[in-house]
Amino acid sequence: MIYLNQAATTYPKPQCVLDAHTASFSAQPAGQFRSSAAEADILEKCRRNLGTLLGIEEYDRIFFSSGATDSANALIYGLPLKGRNVVATQTEHNSILRPLMNLKEQVGSVTIVPCNADGRVEPQMVEKAITKETAAVFVNHCSNVTGMVQDIRAISEITKRKGIYLVVDASQSAGCIPLQADRWGIDILIFTGHKGLFGAQGTGGYYVRRAVSLTPYRYGGTGRDSSRLTYEDGAYEYETGTQNAPGLAALCAGVEYVLGRGVENIADKERRMMKALYAGLQEIPGIRLYGSAQSNQGPVMSFTCEGLAPSDIGYILQNGYGITVRTGLHCAPLIHEAMGTCRQGTVRVSISDLTKEADVQALLEAMREICSAAEAGL
Amino acid sequence: MRIIEKIESRERCAEAGWFAYDYLLDEALNAKTIGALRPMGNFVYLRMLARPFFKIESDYFMIKGVEGDHFFRVAVHDAHRGELKKIEEFVARVVQKDGQRETDGLKFDKD
Repeated sequence: MIYLNQAATTYPKPQCVLDAHTASFSAQPAGQFRSSAAEADILEKCRRNLGTLLGIEEYDRIFFSSGATDSANALIYGLPLKGRNVVATQTEHNSILRPLMNLKEQVGSVTIVPCNADGRVEPQMVEKAITKETAAVFVNHCSNVTGMVQDIRAISEITKRKGIYLVVDASQSAGCIPLQADRWGIDILIFTGHKGLFGAQGTGGYYVRRAVSLTPYRYGGTGRDSSRLTYEDGAYEYETGTQNAPGLAALCAGVEYVLGRGVENIADKERRMMKALYAGLQEIPGIRLYGSAQSNQGPVMSFTCEGLAPSDIGYILQNGYGITVRTGLHCAPLIHEAMGTCRQGTVRVSISDLTKEADVQALLEAMREICSAAEAGL
Repeated sequence: MRIIEKIESRERCAEAGWFAYDYLLDEALNAKTIGALRPMGNFVYLRMLARPFFKIESDYFMIKGVEGDHFFRVAVHDAHRGELKKIEEFVARVVQKDGQRETDGLKFDKD
């Protein structure tokens, strides 16, 4: 089997991730206190590693959650957005869109900034959408549909000038694309563990700059200061409940793997493979690409094929060639309005640092055969 | 050939309002059986592929599969889930007759 659905969950994981998960799950969990010292060390180490990778000096302000969706809910619930406007882009994933559009008591209104058919959002369009009521701008760093990487620095200049929060969803970029949260002026950053960071599903988190006010959306046991019941002084604890220690041990190892490889090296390798993918698909009659290797720099891309629905292509690739891709809307419905693919979505191909060039070539060969058969048979 | 099990597909397609089911067979799908499903709707058959793909499509349901597989997929739009039984019955009859001559007279009521 060839797995080219890395934008959903990376597979395989580096051996060090498997080892760390097994070691954590095999170890005796409880020490004298609620959790073992080893677990606390791993969480601390994971935060530090994430700080290094994502360019965050205040790494103690990185909090773990079950993933990007959990992080977005915590943030949209806890940030001071009541009665205020939020600007978000057309490229956002449902992990952001659904909390924004359903937590109606927490958010006054939502303005969507359009993107082009490749997924590019012009920073000046973001500026145009901001009003006096706007409290925050949510931007998807790398589209999980087209692989378009947004100009966060340019958008940050705008949000700084306007005095509003910049929230960046790095779910699809963390571990694949160099990111400097502090240098770029990011106030809040959302990440997930199971994609480019090579961790387990059900792990992720968010970074909140110390100056940002955030009310917890849930309270509970933290294993510390047990006699305390309320937080009148505002010294909130954001990680409540027993932590997913094996999952976070795996995430820690995944981030170490990325740091060891060098995120620039990973990005270079993935760009080379994506270039081959774009070039190969472009030569096949009947295929339409949504973006190019020059403009779309992420490790994910979308295409459609004349005469066959994306779901048919996915079915043929899976059952006829043993190649897994993803088809449909990819949990990002609004970007398809810009792409003109609302009805059936696209075929999405995504790679990771562990994808082999032979896998990409196998997909290209399969698509040549499928498109040629479609042309002859329809 | 007969259908031995029906399972809700892992790829539910529910996002677009469709529900999919995989039907498991006791034998591999052959060209004759696939051809006998043709009366059910618009028929696409990519014979050139090493593992030929077929699809039968109507306004409210879709059947797709690959020749040689021991399963095929039926997707029905949510508004027409009641029609699934009729589709199942027709497909079961075709499959049971293994696409032989007896299926020539079989008709599928598309309404």
